[in-house]
Amino acid sequence: MASQVTIFVENKPGRISHIARVLGKNNINIRAITISDRGEYGLINIITSAPDKAYEVLLKEGFSVSRKYVIGVLMKDRPGALADVTEYLNESGINVSNAYGFILQEGDRAVLILEVDDFDKAEEVIRSGGFHTLSREELQNL
Amino acid sequence: MDERYWNREIETIDRESLGKIQLERLNRTLERAVNSPYYKGRIPDHVKDISTLQNFPFTTKSDLRSSFPAGMLAVPLDEIVRVHSSSGTTGRATVVYHTKSDIDNWTETVARSMYMTGVRKNDVFQNMMGYGLFTGGLGFHYGAEKLGALTIPASSGNSRRQIRLMKDFHSTVIHITPSYALHLYTLFQEEGVDPNKDLSLRIAFLGAEPHSEKTRMRVEELFGLNAYNSYGLSEMNGPGVAFECQEKDGMHVWEDHFILEIVDPDTGEVLADGDEGEIVFTTLLREGMPIIRYRTGDVAQVSPGPCPCGRTHRKISRIKGRTDDMLIIKGVNFYPMQIEKVIMEIPEVGNNYLIEIETVDYLDNLNIKVEVRPSIFHGDIGELENLKKRISEDLKNEILISPKITLVEPNSLPKSEGKAVRVVDKRSDQT
Repeated sequence: MASQVTIFVENKPGRISHIARVLGKNNINIRAITISDRGEYGLINIITSAPDKAYEVLLKEGFSVSRKYVIGVLMKDRPGALADVTEYLNESGINVSNAYGFILQEGDRAVLILEVDDFDKAEEVIRSGGFHTLSREELQNL
Repeated sequence: MDERYWNREIETIDRESLGKIQLERLNRTLERAVNSPYYKGRIPDHVKDISTLQNFPFTTKSDLRSSFPAGMLAVPLDEIVRVHSSSGTTGRATVVYHTKSDIDNWTETVARSMYMTGVRKNDVFQNMMGYGLFTGGLGFHYGAEKLGALTIPASSGNSRRQIRLMKDFHSTVIHITPSYALHLYTLFQEEGVDPNKDLSLRIAFLGAEPHSEKTRMRVEELFGLNAYNSYGLSEMNGPGVAFECQEKDGMHVWEDHFILEIVDPDTGEVLADGDEGEIVFTTLLREGMPIIRYRTGDVAQVSPGPCPCGRTHRKISRIKGRTDDMLIIKGVNFYPMQIEKVIMEIPEVGNNYLIEIETVDYLDNLNIKVEVRPSIFHGDIGELENLKKRISEDLKNEILISPKITLVEPNSLPKSEGKAVRVVDKRSDQT
């Protein structure tokens, strides 16, 4: 299972750079980053090379931070790939609360990160559709 | 009948005769007051001279609270026809009981006050104050009806409907908080309404919030009307305690209904007219719940000298401040402690909070900042939004207005140790 680190931040300048600097200093690589903006505050979601360590150092820095399990789907970087995955989930009645992706190599492979309401079922549905979901180690060692 | 006065005889009574009426009514009040558990044994039931009152103990808001629910009730509950209560759901509310005669007397002071500013039977009065436990709604409503004006119980809020009512019924008189008046004007502009041309307004009563002369002038200019300052507090009925006449230079305190004293807030010593101090009132006609020497916490001074309007009742200045940390927002009074108490009961929040008051579009906004600490954060937006909603609802139950809750990062607010500043008042117009 893949792990995402979520940080609570006020909507003011300098928050992302602060987080990125802390991670950089600790030699933690950021694979992907998204922000759920709620106006006065936001949640920053990051996929890193070392989620547990990222969690520890950010907590120590004084942030409100949490770890969350997410599904990382390895897929072809081609038109329609995301549609395929989400259609499977839709047919099984699984709701996606957050989704974002990053490309590993242009035209080759991409990783889709999903936050879903039914984690186990979602992973099963995606696998049975012929997609590969990444283990924790696989995601970290990309 | 003299067109200028609602009750010429009492409004223009000479000071000596007024003093006699006060002494007689004070003695009746003391006789009634000692029937209450609170005043029994605490004060004598008779005085020979009104100046003796200076030696009586004060009654404070906390005395009112600690005598909840009926410690100051001086008549059998059967005789009570109305109760008004301040905010608070936890038994710390202040309650005021009224008999039929108390309501009549209150109504009389409001009708008299409104008449003094020029309101007449043919006026259309739109009362934009909250109806309910808050006294500004019902108090004015009864007074306006007694005066004979067509009365629209519009209550507060719903700005577009307020504007429609003003147009449909050609309202000539409004009762409104100054901040809401200024806010409403911005909506007039949005809707293309020019109050000078499209409406019939001629008088506004600005109440429930201390405001400056500048604010009055601004309201008068924008709306094209005469605005009058109105002062009251629920412990002394509500509106109708003190009111401006058409001279707009201080508010006449109806001294046939209340004894007015100004005291040094520190020593409690009675001050001379002209000296600034805390306003202290004693009810003179209350039956249900007489209150002796009530410390209002409001700071003002008595204007010496007679008023050109001919009324002999002394005038107080605008309220210049508070002797305590009471906050007045949107016409509602409360203390930071009330907010603290509610917040402390929400385990996720604890003691990390900050109360901020600011003016946005002329409206006072109450903003409570709350830290999202690591222990309560699970990375879920729904959870955070629910927490915000819960804090806001719990606070509304206590202080009757909904504050905006802002979530902030841990350790960004003042620490709870020592004398942390918990209230930041950013309002500019506080005079």
